[in-house]
This record gives sequence, structure tokens and C-alpha cells, in this order.
Amino acid sequence: MKKRSMKRSKKRKATSKQNTIQVKRGGKRSTSRARRTPAKTPTDFLDPLIAASAQALGLAVDPGWHGSIKFNLGLILRLGALVDNFSIPDDTEPGPVFHA
Amino acid sequence: MLETIATKYMWSTAAEIAGSFAAGRASAVTVIEATIARIRERDPLLNSFTAVTERRALLRAQALDDARAAGRPLGPLAGVPFAVKNLFDIEALPTLAGSKINRDHPPATRDAALIERLEAAGAILVGALNMGEYAYDFTGENIHDGPSHNPHDLERMTGGSSGGSGAAVAGGLVPFALGSDTNGSIRVPSSLCGVFGLKPTYGRLSRARTFPFVASLDHVGPLARTARDLTLAYDAMQGHDADDPVCANRAIEPVAALLDRGAEGLRIAVAGGYFKCHDAETLAAVDRVAAALGANRDIDLPQAERARAAAFVITACESASLHLDRLRARARDYDPAVRDRLLAGAMAPAALAVKAQKFRRWYRHEVLKLFGDVDAILAPATPCTAPLIGQQMINVGDVEMPVRANLGLYTQPISFIGLPVVVVPVPLQPLPIGVQIITAPWREDVALRLAHALERKGVAAAPRPPL
Repeated sequence: MKKRSMKRSKKRKATSKQNTIQVKRGGKRSTSRARRTPAKTPTDFLDPLIAASAQALGLAVDPGWHGSIKFNLGLILRLGALVDNFSIPDDTEPGPVFHA
Repeated sequence: MLETIATKYMWSTAAEIAGSFAAGRASAVTVIEATIARIRERDPLLNSFTAVTERRALLRAQALDDARAAGRPLGPLAGVPFAVKNLFDIEALPTLAGSKINRDHPPATRDAALIERLEAAGAILVGALNMGEYAYDFTGENIHDGPSHNPHDLERMTGGSSGGSGAAVAGGLVPFALGSDTNGSIRVPSSLCGVFGLKPTYGRLSRARTFPFVASLDHVGPLARTARDLTLAYDAMQGHDADDPVCANRAIEPVAALLDRGAEGLRIAVAGGYFKCHDAETLAAVDRVAAALGANRDIDLPQAERARAAAFVITACESASLHLDRLRARARDYDPAVRDRLLAGAMAPAALAVKAQKFRRWYRHEVLKLFGDVDAILAPATPCTAPLIGQQMINVGDVEMPVRANLGLYTQPISFIGLPVVVVPVPLQPLPIGVQIITAPWREDVALRLAHALERKGVAAAPRPPL
């Protein structure tokens, strides 16, 4: 299990490195246009996610709440990534057990 | 202290009150009158009660006095007052769960299962206790009812979300109280208020007729000033309940008669790695308990940090799902700190929550292997003593971290897989702090025995606050 996890973890690292490069590239582009638009932060992808989720779920989000929701969603995704990058066998049952 | 009606029985244990009542040295009505007077006089300082069920309690007390006079059998908790976190249903009261929204709910038509069981054992409910909104809280603060105050320093947090339960017990208002614990909500206030707390095995005690938070992780249990009182309450509440689908169909396993067996023959280790806290007081408390129990080896809970992360994700997603309708209709009536976490949880990908549940299975399997070598594991309950009310950041060693999310740093990886835990209070100066005694599933007896042994050695004790 440990070996598999490490292997997977290396794979993930590679993926996240690629993501970082993409962000940096994007950052360079936005720097060149810095006078017209402010540079995007790595969590700006959350803005459309929040808007779309709120619409899909019928949630009315006051603009004043946006920053706090974004912070908390970012935290969930950051901690979720820690779970996601751990290899678990496909046949593992989820925690709760339903008794019919 | 000059004895008044309010101070009578103030520091008596549940065992002492039940003993006095059974022996005819105290009447239940006198005990309840003293308890109500104490709540009226002292709770304005602690803000631990949100409702006092005076009439009901006095009627019940009179019935117990009559039963004793008639020679009818008395339960093991006969005449003992107790209170419950306000997410437990109390007949004729709306179940607030710390919220503004639930104040509009109709009154409950029946008591929560555990209230019924405690009253069947002779205990007397005296009221409902303050808590963090919808239990999504580690601080004991509540914007609707105000914060509960730590009896050891009124400027400090009780911890949450069972903050009123911690304050009422530590402040001498009741000998024991009930709380709920999803990620640490019994253990954090037990630690910060300096009382004993039991989070039993997931499925051991019925949650029927309590307001839920995260069904996968919700537990209920008692807080008390002694390990024996914790045990008496726990024993009275055990047993299968078909009204809670999670409640296990197991025989009742009473612990009271086993308490005096002590630590002999038990293999005890200290949780290392993730649980090695750099806060001086936390370290001192764990060291004292470990030395008293002869625990001289460390043990690692594999992937504890991931376990905490997974508990965080499940909590966010499940609680959001529970509150979706209310978030649509009454988002402005929530505490903003709770509302924004719930909204964020609603927007998180479901795939992460399911993966966290699968990781839970893996982690449980790995941690249970450890109990082949040890009977109990010691770990800090909180990364620090009680912070100031309103404090946003804490320093743990050299690291600064947000209070609200991190008071449960050491409790989350344990409740995540439902292991039973007793928190023992270590009476450091100026503030107490708790240590978790973690055992294998269904072995509450081992944790309670060790808590009692530590109490007898003088290492664990609920200190009396300077009220």
C-alpha cells in the first residue's frame, strides 16, 4: 500500500508541477497586461465555481459573503487534495454502512 | 465559602447526591431547589443555560421523594440534577441547536432518548445548555445567545461546541451534563474547562431526537467532574435504540463495577508524530499522564493528518447538505462564520467527500491494527489552554494558527473513525488542559478505568474555579 501511495504521490507531484507552470505562464501573460487588468491569484478559478454552484443549487450569495466563502472553499479543496492524492484500492467500501 | 441555598450540593458529585438521597439524608426537592437557585445566581456569569426547566424538575423531584417514601425502588442516579446541550429534544421546548432559525420550530413532543434513559435511572433534567450554532464550532461562542464563559477565567473560551455543558459542569451548576461530539465538541470543552468527558464509540449511545450535524460522525456523551460520575451517566444511557439507525445492537456493558481495577496489566502508549504538540502546557499534561500510567513508548497513528483533512471535508459537505433548504430560505439568520462555511461546503465537489469516506475505511483498518499491541493511546485533547473569547489566532509552539479551525486538531483524527475517548483534566496553573485516553472500539471500560486511576493518583482532577 505504502509503495503504491508513494508512486501515486510522485505522479500527483508531477501533475501539480504542471499546474504550477500553467499558472506561472498565465501569470506572465497577465503581468504583461498588468496596466489594464489586475494579476489573477491562484484561487481566482474559485470565482466562477462559486457563481455556478450558487446558481445550480439556488443559493442567493450576497457579494459581501463572497470572500469568506472563497476562503472556506479554498480550504476544503486544499484539505480535499490531501485526501485525493492518497491511493485507495477501488474495492474499498466507504465508511458508513447501510443496513437494509 | 458561606453555605447558602445556592451553594448547597454545589460541588457534590452525582454519586454523593444519589447516595445521600438513597440513604434519606437529602430530599430530591431540596437538591433541585438548590440547583435552580445556583443557576439563577451564578449563570449570569457563565451564560451556560438557555432554558431552565424548573417546574418540570420540581415535579419530578417531588415524585422521587414520594417514591422513596413509599419504599419503591430508586435508580442509580435518583435525585441527581443534570442538563443537556440544546440540540437534545426537551418536550415542550423548541430544539435550538444554538441557532436563531430553530426558535421558530414547534416545541418537541418527546424528550431525546438519552434524557429518557437518564430520567429512568432517577436523574432530574434542569435545563438546556448554550452551544455553538448548529454544532459547527470549537469555541463556545454564539452570536445569538452570547458566548459561554470559562469558569476558570470568565474572559476565556469554554471551547465548543458543547460550551455550555463544559461551563455548567466546571462551574458547579450541575454534576454532569450531556454534549455532542462530531469532531471534538465534547473533548475540546472538557479540556478547556477542566472536566472529564466521554466520547463513546460511534453507535454506542442513541442520538435519537437530537438535532444532527454530520450524520457520519455525530456522537453524544456525558461531561462530569469525576470519572465515576461520567461512568454512572454512561452506564445509565447504554443500550440499543431502534430510533437511531446507527445505534449498535449490543448488550449493555456496565463499567461502574470495573472502575477500581486500575491500570494494571494495560499496555499504554503515547501518540507520536502528528500528535507531538509543541505547546509547553499541552506537553506537560501529556507527560504527567504518561508518567503516572507508565506509558514509555510512542506509537504513530498512520496518516493522522490526512484523517483530519478527510474529517474536515466530510463535515463540510454533509453539514451543507443538511442545511441546503435553510441556506436558501434564511441565509441571513445564520452566524456568518457558520453560514459561509456551510455555503462553501455546498459548493465542494462530492467526489472529495466520497473519497474521504473511502479513506476513512482504510484509516480505520490501519489504526485498529495498533490495538493488537496496546490497550490505550494517550494524546493531547487541545493544542493549548483556553484562548480569550474573541481571539482569532493561537500560537502553538512557534506556529501561529486560526483558533476556530484548530482547537480540534487532535480530536478530529480520532472521532473520524469513532474510537472511544475519555478526556481527563490535568489541573495545571493557571488553566487546566485535557489529555485524551483513546481505546479500541467498544472498550470505553479501559478508558474509564484509566481515568479513574489517574484521578486516584491525583494526576487528573476537575479543579474548582474561583467563582
